[in-house]
Amino acid sequence: MAKNIKISIRNLYKIFGPTPDVALEHVRKGMGKADLLEQQRHVLGLRDINVDVHDGEITVIMGLSGSGKSTLIRHLNRLIDPTAGEIRVDGEDIMSYTEEQLRKLRRERMSMVFQKFALLPHKTVLENAGMAKDIRGHTTSDFEADARKWLARVGLEGNEYQYPHQLSGGMQQRVGIARALVSDAPIMLMDEAFSALDPLIRSDMQDLLLELQEELKKTIVFITHDLDEALKLADHLVILKDGEVVQQGDPQEILLNPGDPYIVDFISDINRARVLRVRSVMSPSDDGESEFAGDISEKDNLESVLLKSEGDMSLSFRVVRGDQQVGTLHMKDLARALVPTAASADRNKNAA
Amino acid sequence: MATYDSLFSSLGLKQWCSEGKSSGPMSMADLLNKNKGESAEPASIWELPFPSMDALNESCAAFPQSRELTKGLEQGFLAIKDSLSLVLDPLTQPLSWFLDGALYGMLNTPWWIVIPLLLAGVFVVTKSWRLMLFVGGSIVLLAFIDHYDYAMQTLAIIFVCAFLCVLLGVPIGISMARSNALQRMIIPVLDMLQTLPPFVYLIPLIFLFSVTESKLYGIAIILYAIVPVIRLTNLGIRLVDKDVIEAADAFGMTPRQKLYKVQIPLALPNIMAGVNQTIMMSLAMVVIASLVSAPGLGVLVLRGIRNLELGVGLVSGLGIVILAVILDRVTKASLARINVSQKQ
Repeated sequence: MAKNIKISIRNLYKIFGPTPDVALEHVRKGMGKADLLEQQRHVLGLRDINVDVHDGEITVIMGLSGSGKSTLIRHLNRLIDPTAGEIRVDGEDIMSYTEEQLRKLRRERMSMVFQKFALLPHKTVLENAGMAKDIRGHTTSDFEADARKWLARVGLEGNEYQYPHQLSGGMQQRVGIARALVSDAPIMLMDEAFSALDPLIRSDMQDLLLELQEELKKTIVFITHDLDEALKLADHLVILKDGEVVQQGDPQEILLNPGDPYIVDFISDINRARVLRVRSVMSPSDDGESEFAGDISEKDNLESVLLKSEGDMSLSFRVVRGDQQVGTLHMKDLARALVPTAASADRNKNAA
Repeated sequence: MATYDSLFSSLGLKQWCSEGKSSGPMSMADLLNKNKGESAEPASIWELPFPSMDALNESCAAFPQSRELTKGLEQGFLAIKDSLSLVLDPLTQPLSWFLDGALYGMLNTPWWIVIPLLLAGVFVVTKSWRLMLFVGGSIVLLAFIDHYDYAMQTLAIIFVCAFLCVLLGVPIGISMARSNALQRMIIPVLDMLQTLPPFVYLIPLIFLFSVTESKLYGIAIILYAIVPVIRLTNLGIRLVDKDVIEAADAFGMTPRQKLYKVQIPLALPNIMAGVNQTIMMSLAMVVIASLVSAPGLGVLVLRGIRNLELGVGLVSGLGIVILAVILDRVTKASLARINVSQKQ
C-alpha cells in the first residue's frame, strides 16, 4: 500500500526551562533526562523524535505519563513550539508559518479532541459542535444541518439544545468528537480522548471511532497510555519513553518482536489472543496443505480462531482476503504466538 | 545643648549646622520647655529620644523638622494643582453631567413612573416575583416616611458611579489578566485605594475640584468602589479553565474571539460578584461623600451627627440599610441566575 506522508516530524527536540538553547547542546551531546534536570535545571520534554504520520491511518502515540506524548501532539498544531526540529504538514514546514497561516491550519486542516472534553459550558451541544465553523465566521443557521448530522452520527440525536453539564462524560466526549468532525479537517488530533471515560464507554467510543474511520479515512493521531486501546486502534504505533521513541511500527510487529525490555514489560499482561491477528502469524499459502478446517479472514484475531477450532491444535485454516487465499494458519503457530513475550524472543532467534 | 550635638560635631558638620539657623515657628513642645525653663537635655539613657527629624533639629538647626515634610508635600501638591486640574477638569466633566442628569431625572420624574420602572428593572434581572414585591414594599415604606427623595438621590448616584466603575473596571481587569507586568503595577494601586481611609483622598480632591461640582464626590466614590470589579475581572479571566482556552487555540480562535466567546462568558460569574461588591461599596462611600456635598440619605446621617438629632440619624441609617439589602439581593439574584446557566 503506497501511503502518502501527511505529517512528518524530523529531529524534534523540546526542552523546558529558562535557556533551552544552552541545554539543547548538552542534550545533543548525550546528556540524559535526569542529569539535565540535576545539572542544568531544564526538563527534557522530547529528544530527537522522528515520526511519519501517514494519510488515512490512525497513528497511536503511546507512553506512560511524563513520557512526553501530550507534549508531542501539541507540537503538531504548534500549541507548543519546539526547541529544535522540523514539522511538515502536507509537505509544508509549519515552523515557518505566520500567525495567520497557523490559524488557518488550526481552523481548516486540523481538529482536536481533548481528554477533559474542553467544551464551552455556556453554549448548547449544537453550538459546541459547530464551534469550528463559528470561529470561521459562519452563523448557527449555516452549520446547523452539518452539526445535527454529525451529532446524530455520534449518537446524540435529541440532545442538541442541552448544555454540556447536563450530559454524562461519555456523551460530552461524543460532542467533542462531533465538534472535530464538523470542522471537516482532514487531520484529527486526539489527546487521551477516551482516558477520562469508564472502561465500557471507552470501548464503545473506540468502536465508534473505528467505525467513523472506516467511512471517513481521516488522518488521526491518537494519544493514549493504555496499551489495549493503542493496539485496538493503531495502524502505526509509536512508543515513547522519557521523551524518546523506543520503538515504532506495525503494532502486531511490535507485539511479536518487542525491541526493548521496557516494551516487554508493557506487553507482558495483555491478552495476546485478542490483539494478534491472523495475518501476523500465518504462513505463506504455497505449502501444499490440502486439509483445511475452514476459511478465516486475515483480519480475524486469534481469539476468534481459537473459538472456531474449539481448541484442537492439529487443525489448519485457509486464510483469505476477500475470496483469494493468502496463506495458511496452523494452530501450532497460533499456539506459539500466544507464548508470552520473554519466550517469544527466543523463538524468533531459533527461527532465524 | 541637645542630645545629638556630639553626633554632628564628630561628623564635622558643626559649621553647616550653625549656618542654617532655623527660622521656623516654635513648636508647642519647645514653647512648653521654654516656659518651664528647662533644657531639653535628657537626664539619663532611659530618656534618650529617638533620632527623629525633630530631635536632630534640636542639635543642628540646619536639619529640617518633620513638619517641613508635610509642608513640602502640601506645597508640592499646590504647585502642580493648577496644571493637574487643567487636565483633569475637562476629562472628568462628563461625570458631573451624568450625575446631575441622573439626579435631575430621578427627582423630576413622578414617583408613579419611577417606582414601576425600578420594579420592572428588578424583575428583568432577577425573574423573581417575590424579590420584586420585597423591593416594591421597601421603596413604598421609604416613600411613606418621606425619605423618597433622599433615597432616590442616593440610588441615582450609585447607578451612575457603579455603571462607570464597570465601564472602566472591566477593561482594566481584562488587560491586567493579559499582562503579568501590568498586574504587578496595578495591584499595589488597588491595595492602596482599598486601605487608604476614604476621608484621606477626599482632601486632595477638594483642592482639585470645586466642592460645588458633583464630580468631586463622583470621583471619590468611583475610586473607592472600582477596586473589586477590577480585581474580580482579573481573577475571573485568569481562572478560566486552561483546557477550554487550549481548545479555543487549537481550533484557531483569534485573541479577540477568545476574549468574547470564551474568557468573558466564563468569567462572568466572577465579574458579576465584583459588580455586586462595587455596588455595595458605592453605597458605603455615598454616605461618606455627603461630607463633600453628595446629596441623599448621607446628608441626613450627617445632620444626625452634627446636630445630635438621634431620630433623624437612626431613620436615615435604616433607610441606607434597606437600600443595601435591596441592592445586594437584586445583584445576588441575578448572579445566581448566571451561575445556574453556566454550571461546569
